[in-house]
Amino acid sequence: MTILITFIAGMFAGILSGLLGVGGGLILIPIMIFLLGMSQHTAQGISLLVIIPTALAGLWQLHKAKLIHYNLAFYLSLGAVLGALLSANFVHYIPADNLKRIFGIFVLFMGIRTIWSVKTKK
Amino acid sequence: MDNKIKVISFGFIAGILSGLLGIGGGIVLVPLMVTYLGITQHMAHGTSLAVIVPTALSASIVYGFNGNTNLLPALNLAVGSIIGATISAKGMKKISPGRLKTLFGIFLILVGIRMIVS
Repeated sequence: MTILITFIAGMFAGILSGLLGVGGGLILIPIMIFLLGMSQHTAQGISLLVIIPTALAGLWQLHKAKLIHYNLAFYLSLGAVLGALLSANFVHYIPADNLKRIFGIFVLFMGIRTIWSVKTKK
Repeated sequence: MDNKIKVISFGFIAGILSGLLGIGGGIVLVPLMVTYLGITQHMAHGTSLAVIVPTALSASIVYGFNGNTNLLPALNLAVGSIIGATISAKGMKKISPGRLKTLFGIFLILVGIRMIVS
């Protein structure tokens, strides 16, 4: 049963991120916490794993469409990998409740930004 | 690409957020590229995906070492997610994105509040 719920949750996240142009993590993490009862740290770890094949699937399409600036991607990745290694190690020391609040603030901010972007386009 | 330090520090900011929040980092990368590097929206989207792959990979290895991951649900979610993304790319372009975006924004605000007060 959990497998089915997980699969449907993933599909739902995929449809939404495709329609709205947002990353999967923003949708997946709350689903894992509230629907699948996972801890904040594990939900974030799983989200990162899910992002890899999902991004790879999109990458191939965009590579064929010549929409990837590889030189720029190289230098951005240099900084990004360094930053990610640093914070992924650090996050281990943040208590789950606090990490959940930090994530909550981020989600709240993204919600306001999403509504704002609709309003300004009209 | 005259200023490599600037580009590397943009990446660094996105990487910090990715590892801290378990997200890809495209949310930060795309606007930075468009606003400060003069890259088109489409190109920025493609380039961000190329950055997200090594970033998420290195962050998830660290999460894994700290025991904060689970392969089976990840696989399950990934398969579902790719199928979902394919569906929305092919058949669901008719839905007006404006209303859906507003609903999604309200949903995010509620989730955010719920996570902050819990």
